[in-house]
Amino acid sequence: MKCEYCDILDRKSTADILYEDNDIVIAIKDFSIAPGQITVFPKQHFTIMEMVPDDILQKCFTLANKVSVAIFESMGAHGTNIIVQNGLGAGQKVPHFAVEIIPRREGDGLNLQWAPKELSEDEKETSYLLIKEEGDKLVDIGKKKEKKEVSQIVTEKISGLSGKDNYLLKSLKRIP
Amino acid sequence: MPELTEEQRKQLEEKIKKMSPEELKEFQKQQCIFCQIISGKVPSKKVYDDDKCIAVLDIAPASKGHLLIMPKEHYAIMPQIPDKEIGHLFLVSKYLSQVLLKVLKVSGTNVFVANGAVAGQRAQHFMLHLIPRKEGDKLIEVEDKLIDAGLRAKVKELVEKRLKALLGVKEEKQATLPKGEQKASEETFADVPEEEPAETKEEEPESEEEIAEEEPEEVEERPAKTKKASKKSSPKSSSSKKPKPKDEPESIGDASLDDIADLFK
Repeated sequence: MKCEYCDILDRKSTADILYEDNDIVIAIKDFSIAPGQITVFPKQHFTIMEMVPDDILQKCFTLANKVSVAIFESMGAHGTNIIVQNGLGAGQKVPHFAVEIIPRREGDGLNLQWAPKELSEDEKETSYLLIKEEGDKLVDIGKKKEKKEVSQIVTEKISGLSGKDNYLLKSLKRIP
Repeated sequence: MPELTEEQRKQLEEKIKKMSPEELKEFQKQQCIFCQIISGKVPSKKVYDDDKCIAVLDIAPASKGHLLIMPKEHYAIMPQIPDKEIGHLFLVSKYLSQVLLKVLKVSGTNVFVANGAVAGQRAQHFMLHLIPRKEGDKLIEVEDKLIDAGLRAKVKELVEKRLKALLGVKEEKQATLPKGEQKASEETFADVPEEEPAETKEEEPESEEEIAEEEPEEVEERPAKTKKASKKSSPKSSSSKKPKPKDEPESIGDASLDDIADLFK
């Protein structure tokens, strides 16, 4: 399967690689939301964030933070946005999980801000209860991680991830 | 909060000026609405809570189920946060994203961080947004454009040196590499001007000091780790070989996600 980011890794792309180690690549792509944008992604091909192993995911974001600092200090940016487009609905174009760091400047013409949505009390309450129920089940990730039980617990706690009516599966199939 | 008179404001400014960094942090914390949400003084719709962070529903959401994930510790900006905590916050975002996909039947989530007012940061308390998305909702409309190669080269020139210093990539490492490997790394960074190594060396101690101030735990660990990792990855063959995560049970969060991954092969 053709993947733009795997191509970067295989040096089949015109993108510039800034950094590379066993797990992660930091690159400047030729197609970006804004000039100066830098992309951090795992070497291994994972389609969406949920599939990225915990340790690799954590590394992606700690490196993204360093990239953000480097952008501040070296490009004279006034700010940065760190964005993940996770899934087709979120605007993901390449089926390979990535973190984008976008330099921001006064008057750069970018609009990444959303308009607040009016929700009825009912809608707020139902979504709150639904999410809270699952959130409570997540238990203390930090503590469990130390015991290396996190994957087991999350597998047990978040049910319904396998089977025909898997929402993840459906949305994944549609990513080009 | 009541309006301050001119005199009160001046007094306050004076007071702030005299504060020690610790006092200032405490003062900021008292003023911070999100710290009050965390302590429970201000009510919120909390959906997740552990010893390091909480997640609440945004009161001005982009969409139904828009969450704010924030550290319990008061950090005004992201660079102040130790690596470990960054890792934890985003790990929580991964699991909460999974929850949102499941319970709201959405087809995606955005993880969104704004650093600086110009990027849309409104609160003096670091937080990350997790926004449920559906196709065609037009919440955040971004388009990829082709970035001119010259511009990209300039970006690389500007940022590469600083980034490598921050990541603890040492130039001396390149010098000690066997000849074949050195060639490989030269290919990779063909654009780097020759005087680069000397300049980077000058900058490095300074940057390590900076990091040391903010995250004393991580400094010793990271350069060593990075060095080891990049040494291993130097030979070209490593790029074709997919790196295997060391810890198998921990690495794949969900057995059922394995099946999903298989579909793409």
